[in-house]
Amino acid sequence: MTEKKQGKLTKVLDYLKHEDPFSKGVAFCPGCGLELLLRFIPQVLGNDIVITGTPSCSAPVLLGQNNQSWHTLSYFGTLMTGAAANATGLARYYRKAGIKNTVVCFNGDGTAADIGFGNLSGAAERNEPFIYICYDNEGYMNTGIQKSGTTPYGASTTTTPLGSASKGKNLRRMNLALKMAMHKIPYAATATLSDMGDLAKKLLKAKEAKERGFAFLHVFAPCTTGWGYAPENTIEVCRRAVKTNYFPLWEAVNGKIRMTKTVKKPKPVSTYTKLIKKFAHLNEADLQILQDDIDYEYCMLGGLSALEGECQLPVSSED
Amino acid sequence: MSSNKFLKHEGPWSDANDPLMCSDTGSWRTKRPVVDKEKCIFCGFCALYCPIQVMEMVETSHFLPDLGFCKGCGICAKECPKDAISMKPEGDFQK
Ligand code: SF4
Ligand code: SF4
Repeated sequence: MTEKKQGKLTKVLDYLKHEDPFSKGVAFCPGCGLELLLRFIPQVLGNDIVITGTPSCSAPVLLGQNNQSWHTLSYFGTLMTGAAANATGLARYYRKAGIKNTVVCFNGDGTAADIGFGNLSGAAERNEPFIYICYDNEGYMNTGIQKSGTTPYGASTTTTPLGSASKGKNLRRMNLALKMAMHKIPYAATATLSDMGDLAKKLLKAKEAKERGFAFLHVFAPCTTGWGYAPENTIEVCRRAVKTNYFPLWEAVNGKIRMTKTVKKPKPVSTYTKLIKKFAHLNEADLQILQDDIDYEYCMLGGLSALEGECQLPVSSED
Repeated sequence: MSSNKFLKHEGPWSDANDPLMCSDTGSWRTKRPVVDKEKCIFCGFCALYCPIQVMEMVETSHFLPDLGFCKGCGICAKECPKDAISMKPEGDFQK
C-alpha cells in the first residue's frame, strides 16, 4: 500500500472534552442543525450542566417521553412564557445551596424573541447568573413552520405563505442578539454551526461570564424541513449566512461590541437565499429589500463596534 | 424496550437511570456514506459536523460512520475537504 497523505486532525475537536450524553438514535430530522448544536454544547461545557427549556423541537428530546430519557443531562421543562424566570429560580437555588454548576436556558427563537422575551429581558436586566442560548431557526418549526420575530423579510412560512394575497413575510426581522447586548450584560454573542471553533470559544466564554451574571448566545441553526433545503447543506447554509453578512459573528462584553469574524468581500444575499426554498419566490426587488436590511444591520453593528473605546461605560461592571 | 412501569402516557419526568431511548435511525437512510480510505486525510471535519456524531475514528487512519444510526443526511460527504465520502443509494446495499 502506498503511503497516503496524512493531514492533521482539526483543532476544533480538542474542544470536545466531554462525553456526548445523548443516545445515538435520537428522533431529529436528518441534517438537523439543532441536533448538532445540542450534542455539541455538553461535549464542550461538560455533562454537569442543568438545562431548562420550553416546548419546541428540542423539548421531546430534552424532556424525554413515557418516563424514558434520550440523554443523561438534567433537564427542567417549562413554559414559553416563563423560560428565563424558571432559569432564574434554578440558578438562585443552586447559588443559595452552594452548588457550583451551570444553568443553561435553551430555547428556540419563538420563546426567546417573541413569547418569552419579556422575562428574558428581565433576567438580563437583573443580571441573573445563567447562560441563555437561543437556537434560531427563524420560526416555529415544531408547531408547523409559523413565522416568528426573527423570520427574515420575504420568507414564506405557513402564516406568511406564498399566494395571491401574500408573498412571504412582509416585515423585517428583529435583531435579538443586538437587543440583548444592549442590556450591557457580561456576555452576549452570535454564533453558528459552520464556525464550530468560534462557537466553542463563545460557549466557554459564556460559562466564565455567568460567574459575573447573565450570558446570552444567539446560535443560527437552520432547519432543513422548515426552510426547504437539502439536508446535506445545513453547514453550507450557515457558512453562506456568515459570508453574506446575513448572520454576522460578533460578541459583546458588557455591551461593548467586537466582530469575531469580518468578511472581507461579503457576497450578495442571493448566494445564500438560492439554497433555500422559503426564499425561492423572491424577485430582484424583494432581494434588494432583504439586502438593504442586512447592509443596514451590518452598518449599525460596525458603527457600534467602532465606538468601542470612544464611549465610556458609566460604571464598569468588570471585576 | 420500554421501562415505563407507571404511566402509559407522556410523563412529567423521565429517568435516565433506565436504558436511554434509542430509535433505529439507521433505517431512515436513503443514501449511505461510503468512505474512501485512501483519499481520507484524517482531518476529522466529517466527525465534527455530523449532527448525530456517529463518525468514528478508525485508529489514526480514517473515519467510518456507525451505520446503525447514521441518518444519511450527507453533511459528512458535503463537508469533507477531500471528497473522500460519496453518498450511494441505500438500495444498492440490499441483497
Ligand atoms: S472529512 Fe474527509 S478527509 Fe477528513 S477525516 Fe472525514 S473522510 Fe477523511
Ligand atoms: S450521512 Fe449524516 S448522519 Fe450519516 S455519518 Fe454523514 S453526517 Fe453523519
